Amino acid sequence: MSSPSAVHRTGRLETYSYDDQIVRMFIVATIIWGAVAMLVGVTIAFQLATWKMNFGLQWITFGRLRPLHTNAAIFAFCGNAMFAGIYYSHQRLLKARLFNDVLSRIHFWGWQAIIVSAALTLPFGITRGKEYAELEWPITIAIAVIWVVFAVNFFGTLIRRRERHIFVAIWFYIATILTVAVLHIVNGLGLPVTIFKSYSVYAGVQDALVQWWYGHNAVAFFLTTPFLGLMYYFVPKAANRPVYSYRLSVVHFWSLVFIYIWAGPHHLLYTTLPEWVQTLGMVFSIALWAPSWGGMINGLMTLRGVWDKVRTDPVLKFMALALTFYGMATFEGPLLSIKSVNSIGHFTDWIPGHVHAGTIGWNYLLIAGILYYMVPKLWNTEIFSKKIANTQFWLATIGLALYYVSMVSAGITQSLMWRAIDVNGKLVYPNFIETVVKIVPMYWVRAFGGTFVFISFLLMTYNLFKTMNQGTIGEIEVFEAYALDDSSLEENAGHHRKLEGLPMVFAVLSLIAILVGSAIEIVPSLLSNQYITKIDAVKPYKPLELLGRDIYLREGCYLCHSQQVRPMAHEVLRYGKNSEAGEFIYDHPFQWGSKRTGPDLARIGGKYPNMWHYRHMINPRDVTPQSIMPIYKWLVEQKLDLSTLTKKLSVMKQLGVPYSDVDIASGVENAQAQAKLISADLMNQGVPKEVEDKELIALIAYLQRMGTDYGSLPVNK
Amino acid sequence: MDKDIFNHFNQPWLPMTALGIFVTCFIIYVYWTYKKSNKKFYENSSYMPLHDGVKHER
Repeated sequence: MSSPSAVHRTGRLETYSYDDQIVRMFIVATIIWGAVAMLVGVTIAFQLATWKMNFGLQWITFGRLRPLHTNAAIFAFCGNAMFAGIYYSHQRLLKARLFNDVLSRIHFWGWQAIIVSAALTLPFGITRGKEYAELEWPITIAIAVIWVVFAVNFFGTLIRRRERHIFVAIWFYIATILTVAVLHIVNGLGLPVTIFKSYSVYAGVQDALVQWWYGHNAVAFFLTTPFLGLMYYFVPKAANRPVYSYRLSVVHFWSLVFIYIWAGPHHLLYTTLPEWVQTLGMVFSIALWAPSWGGMINGLMTLRGVWDKVRTDPVLKFMALALTFYGMATFEGPLLSIKSVNSIGHFTDWIPGHVHAGTIGWNYLLIAGILYYMVPKLWNTEIFSKKIANTQFWLATIGLALYYVSMVSAGITQSLMWRAIDVNGKLVYPNFIETVVKIVPMYWVRAFGGTFVFISFLLMTYNLFKTMNQGTIGEIEVFEAYALDDSSLEENAGHHRKLEGLPMVFAVLSLIAILVGSAIEIVPSLLSNQYITKIDAVKPYKPLELLGRDIYLREGCYLCHSQQVRPMAHEVLRYGKNSEAGEFIYDHPFQWGSKRTGPDLARIGGKYPNMWHYRHMINPRDVTPQSIMPIYKWLVEQKLDLSTLTKKLSVMKQLGVPYSDVDIASGVENAQAQAKLISADLMNQGVPKEVEDKELIALIAYLQRMGTDYGSLPVNK
Repeated sequence: MDKDIFNHFNQPWLPMTALGIFVTCFIIYVYWTYKKSNKKFYENSSYMPLHDGVKHER
């Protein structure tokens, strides 16, 4: 049978071949970048266990490497794997060669160039300061361009297909391509200052909402939907069984695509986001249980009848475990979005634990299964060693178990310590460092768990390259299929059936499905001026503080410190007044963070003298003996760059920050004057005069300003 | 403050409209997908990944 409709096909027979070389290229890139991503991941895991692993070098300090790890894991490793799998399955499901070989090569080399650009910029602190969207504007534009190339190649192939029905895997690919484009463009909007610096067009609450709408859906539409599509193709192939329920896959697709886009605000529960948006995010997150588990059950049930093979076949083994982890992670995600659970889990290590259950458990293991399926096929051979694959499987499983258990334990431990209040209404652990020290042993367990996963990946790398070496590419195979003409049309086909054969209309409907949720979530952003109460006391940053803020972004401080005091008794007791939306209206971009490895900094301004910050940045152990924070000694060695200050102030003005022309013209002078005041205070306490024009002075200015405008107002205001 | 936000931006029709759209669409596509007359087509579709390497269609 060649057509699902069992329509008797007639007409012109055509011959065609697949472009498998592009798939091979993406496979090799997947393996290389996967190893790099995991190496960096293991490095930062050890850096959290011991600060000494930062080696005092700015380029490999945690705050610079962490974005490199996430970008490498998501866009380099998973991205290349996704392209390899899509290009392999897309051609075969449509019985057509990819639309254009040149576009395929531009896609491949363009994507690799983007990854190399990320690797060359992030360690130098060139970042937009937005989690998972750190890459500066020229690279952001390049991503959009290459994504369009991918889309043209993909849809062009769809148009030239020889199969009428578009298989459900391709629906997931379509949703991925459209949604990622929308997310990337909307969240990427910024105004450039220089080639390496831009500011987000959004600020504060508005930026937070857009960022987490993007951040959550990057997970949804970059790490989930394309891999679900791959699952619907590769699991049946590997098991040699049909999809358990194709009808369930149709319901799975539409429900997932519609619901997923709404769930972003669960990253911002208890913040200054409007209450109804938070509730909406929570409700839709819980609703996600149904389609997610529908997909997982559909995948696992496809293995019915071949469970005996799961024990022996590495491909099926990896896929079965990946689906199990997908089920676990998609159960835990909605659970964490319930407000009461979120109040415990948010800002703690539970979240990286959850994230890695998804990225290692689902993405890495599924990719391993897909690679073990594709490489022998594309190199015309067998897997080099099933024994190595089995060892890899168990190492990865044990490593992930160590990672996950240690992180959930660390998260719950820390959260319970943060919120412990005694009978007198005082914090039981008032010093944040007490809660850090308790979880450091679990950071060591995580680091070793991560090492296991990394070694498992190296085993796969060896195994796959040996497989490639022992195989041959061979001659290009030629296939035969009927051209797509009227003979492929089913008589009395219904509306959805016709829709399934109309890729462009289908794409538009998918786009509408994701835009409905997006529009409703973004509306409060667009109307933020109406619902955010202005606070007169909140003023724009002074020029030196703005420069200090840029250093804060450059060093990735937001990756360990939040700037958001939630309206909870223990947070108010620990940090001060809870945050308000009006406090952040000049924050381009917002810096609320998502994790508290160190304490919240929203009310840090004025809490300590300048000298404390000076000593703290040079060696945190001087003021907090058990601190795990890296040293930032280069901040007292590097001169503060004032050359772009005027431009920065002008760009901020364009973005709506009320700087006057006089403020902009006198920016450098004002910055120098403020630097003089801070350094004079430090010099009085024995700090050498040379510090006056160094970066640390600007950072101190920013830290001392943070939260003071609103924070200093009486509580009843 | 939270109350202020709600007062200024209390537009429950927005999420309710979206929910209505979702429920309507959900009912339509579940009905369509599980319609008896479509059963055979979808059962056949589930085999598609297994038929991608056909060298000779005749």
